[in-house]
Amino acid sequence: MANFSDTLGEWLRPQKNRMFILLVLAAIAMLIPLASSNYVLEVMTNVWFYVMLCLGLNIVVGYAGLLDLGYAAFFAVGAYTTGILTSHFGVNFWLTIPVAVCCSACAGLLIGGPTLRLRSDYLAIVTLGFGEIVRIVARNLEITGGASGLIGIERPSIFGFQLNQIVHFYYVFLLLAILACFVSYRLQHSRMGRAWQYVREDEDAAEAMGINRVAVKLYAYVIGAIFGGVAGCFFAVKMTAISPETFMFQQSVLILLGVVLGGMGKIPGVIIGAFALVLFPEVFRGLGSMRMLVFAIVMLIIMLYRPEGIWPAKKS
Amino acid sequence: MSIQDILLQQLANGLILGSFYALVALGYTMVYGIIKLLNFAHGDLYMLGAFVGFIALSFLSDYIGDGWAGIVCSMVLSMIAVGLLGVLIQRIAYVPMLSAPRLSILITALAVSMVLYNGVMAFTDGQYLAFTTDLNYEGVQLGNVFVTNTQMVLVGSSLLLMIVLYLFVHKTLYGKAMRAIAIDQDACRLMGINVNKIIALTFFIGSSLAAAAGVMAGTYYGSIHFFMGFIIGLKAFTAAVIGGIGSIPGAMLGGLLLGLLEAFGTQIPFIGTEWKDVFSFGILILLLVFKPTGILGKTEIERM
Amino acid sequence: MKKTLILSSLGALAGLLMLGNVASSADLKIGIMVPTTGSEATYGKDMENAINLAAGEINKAGGVLGMKIVTMTGDAACDPQQATAAASKLVSANVNGVVGGYCSGATLPTMKIYGDANIPLVIPAANSTKLIGINPGNAFQINSTGFDQVKTAVSLFKAKGINKLAIVHQGDGYSEDLAKLTREKWTAMGKEVVAYEVVNKGEQDQSALVTRIKSKAPDAVFWTAYYADGAMVIKQLRQAGYRNLIAVGDGSNSPKLLKIAGKAAEGVYCFSNPTVEYLPAAKAFHANYKAAYKQDPDAYAALSYDGMKLLADAITRAGSTDKAAIIKALAATKDFTGIAGPISFTDKNTLARSNFVILVAKDGKWILNK
Repeated sequence: MANFSDTLGEWLRPQKNRMFILLVLAAIAMLIPLASSNYVLEVMTNVWFYVMLCLGLNIVVGYAGLLDLGYAAFFAVGAYTTGILTSHFGVNFWLTIPVAVCCSACAGLLIGGPTLRLRSDYLAIVTLGFGEIVRIVARNLEITGGASGLIGIERPSIFGFQLNQIVHFYYVFLLLAILACFVSYRLQHSRMGRAWQYVREDEDAAEAMGINRVAVKLYAYVIGAIFGGVAGCFFAVKMTAISPETFMFQQSVLILLGVVLGGMGKIPGVIIGAFALVLFPEVFRGLGSMRMLVFAIVMLIIMLYRPEGIWPAKKS
Repeated sequence: MSIQDILLQQLANGLILGSFYALVALGYTMVYGIIKLLNFAHGDLYMLGAFVGFIALSFLSDYIGDGWAGIVCSMVLSMIAVGLLGVLIQRIAYVPMLSAPRLSILITALAVSMVLYNGVMAFTDGQYLAFTTDLNYEGVQLGNVFVTNTQMVLVGSSLLLMIVLYLFVHKTLYGKAMRAIAIDQDACRLMGINVNKIIALTFFIGSSLAAAAGVMAGTYYGSIHFFMGFIIGLKAFTAAVIGGIGSIPGAMLGGLLLGLLEAFGTQIPFIGTEWKDVFSFGILILLLVFKPTGILGKTEIERM
Repeated sequence: MKKTLILSSLGALAGLLMLGNVASSADLKIGIMVPTTGSEATYGKDMENAINLAAGEINKAGGVLGMKIVTMTGDAACDPQQATAAASKLVSANVNGVVGGYCSGATLPTMKIYGDANIPLVIPAANSTKLIGINPGNAFQINSTGFDQVKTAVSLFKAKGINKLAIVHQGDGYSEDLAKLTREKWTAMGKEVVAYEVVNKGEQDQSALVTRIKSKAPDAVFWTAYYADGAMVIKQLRQAGYRNLIAVGDGSNSPKLLKIAGKAAEGVYCFSNPTVEYLPAAKAFHANYKAAYKQDPDAYAALSYDGMKLLADAITRAGSTDKAAIIKALAATKDFTGIAGPISFTDKNTLARSNFVILVAKDGKWILNK
């Protein structure tokens, strides 16, 4: 295994090879709809959707090193913003995206602002509580449709062309996932990305170097929230129906699982994690109720023996 | 019912619920106090305690019946089994992680919780099991408030367990070692204390208290299921924080206080049962933001 | 090493692409959409069994239009996301019709997928009234809807001289829908709903709720959700000394409720769609089911069995496997004799008659209320 991953890591390192691989992968992703059924498209759309969510959470967990157990809340904020604005107020879908970005960013500020000073385990619990609060609020309010949620959300159109088929959504989510990768990559290699790394590795040293650790963490939190919010917008129109059950604690854990499986903080690792998350239950349907148990055991083993995830570690 | 009666009844309800919270919160607080680990799996140990008690009782009931004798025996068995499981979890999952970053150990704890939770779900097929016992609803009418014998025994035995624990921690040598480790592990090692053994003992006690609470809940409410530990784990953590995490009397106080808050909370107009959990999580968040040390906790200088 | 990696990933991809293309074209493909994993798996598997039993019987009698029925199952897992994947799987496999839909919440987003493909869908269990509004015309509900249940409930409450009603639900789509409809109907009749409460799924201690309900002194408590938490609420209500009427909705029709609640459940009323033991016409079905699967059929087995038989009947009447023709034939169904009673549809594709019965718990068993 070690040998294999070394070879793989070796092969992936040079810049030229990497560009080539990326292009091939992108081409395969673009061509999948030509040779597959709606079912495969549905599953793959779900994969891209989770890629986006996991990359968003990865900014918080992987880059900034903060454990967030209520990530589904931001995803819910985005989905409900779009759902409410389009179905109650007849707002055009595309106009709801900036609103959802604002709302999820505000939610990120609201919960992150006062709590990021706390110890990391307190933060985990606060985010968990926050996730539950958002779900219960959505369940209790009239405007969110109560426990049944919102149904019959309009499918959006672009330049007079209505996004209606699963193949349309496949490309939309593929585009979103690529965008999320790009933004993640740029963030990771930005000044902010390095600041996150410092804070993650040694908070006190980072502060001594003049990094405002609370501000830096808050950035990670808000950006992660925006990723979730935008994913939520598109989720709402793809599903046409949303209900509080989608945003339970288990959803947050699932997204976290995707981040941890492949390797926290590494974009390819997170993508692999998202793939595993969605494809595993589809392929191993026969495992039935054992499925989550297998996931949990794999997660435990990874944490104990390979905390850097399945993706080969960079040698330095 | 007059308003006094309602409030009195809710007081009784709150105390009963609070004693469950307190028992589970004790485990959180002890483990946290000694190795600064938020043991996510603690709520699941409570759930496992109920299942082990259920299995034990179904075996024992042929010999000693499912009355008080059977319940007490199966509770003791469950406490021992789950206590040992707690030590096993600590050995397998937490010992290798002690020097790892905070984030890794938290995720490991979460993974342990998922293994237990999903394991029981897979083996019970997600079904609720009926925990049938021989207990009845007889009790005493105190004015307009009705309290069953079972409820009194329940509150009594959790109080007893808490007193025993308090005495253990404050009057025995082992307890002294525990308190010393919480302050400075390295110094303890230098003083010749077997730190690993004491930590294992802490896990054993914390887990068996959760198991005791689980068996009591199973017999009292009459049904058990794989996710019964999730909500109570969260609430018990809240209780531990309210009381001041790391403080044993704090966990007891916090548990009772949260139980009372929830019971009275449902009587407040506009909160009711719909917003009950928003109310208790809201309290948790506000408390963590404004007074993270809780009521009885000591101010910590360390920052993470 | 390089090649192995590429080859294996290509292999995995090819495997994925091939999923869901199995049956040959000479067969009649019928999809089953039920939860076969997750918390509702026992009900889903029960429905799947009943549907397969019906398909087997039809095949033994010569099939439909000379074709053999081949079923394939999509696992809805009682989860909207997995349900849409399951629906797409069935649509991709070019099924001629689908029988399924247990959890209303998971069935809702699949309606659009089946609607777009114009696939005839017979829903044996899911009965949220929300399904009616978004039905594109291809779906048929053979279980009575929440409206019918409310009618049955209200008639019982009226007969018992109830005035002040307390309603408790569990914060999910199905039970909230039923609770809301009951509240609307009850207040429209000029009566009083003194408490309208919600219980968190899986929470054990309901004492605060019970005290709150008791303090409002209702003549009846109506639990609209599932058996597991319902048993807990009933038990604690009785324990706290509440002596008036308790009624539960069709999600609570399970012998397990009686087992968990024990003596406390005596005299509790239950509104239910007819399950096998109360259907005289289902004796043979009961025996065959038990012979085939070594267990008793559960709550939705009879309706699922009827669903499969109805779909086969409609295809025979349509005389072809053309989807539009099948849907037309389904809509024209007139008094189809199912084991759960005759089936005809309203103009909204819901069951024309109410099939709700009232049960009462006696000596640890549900019996028909006379």
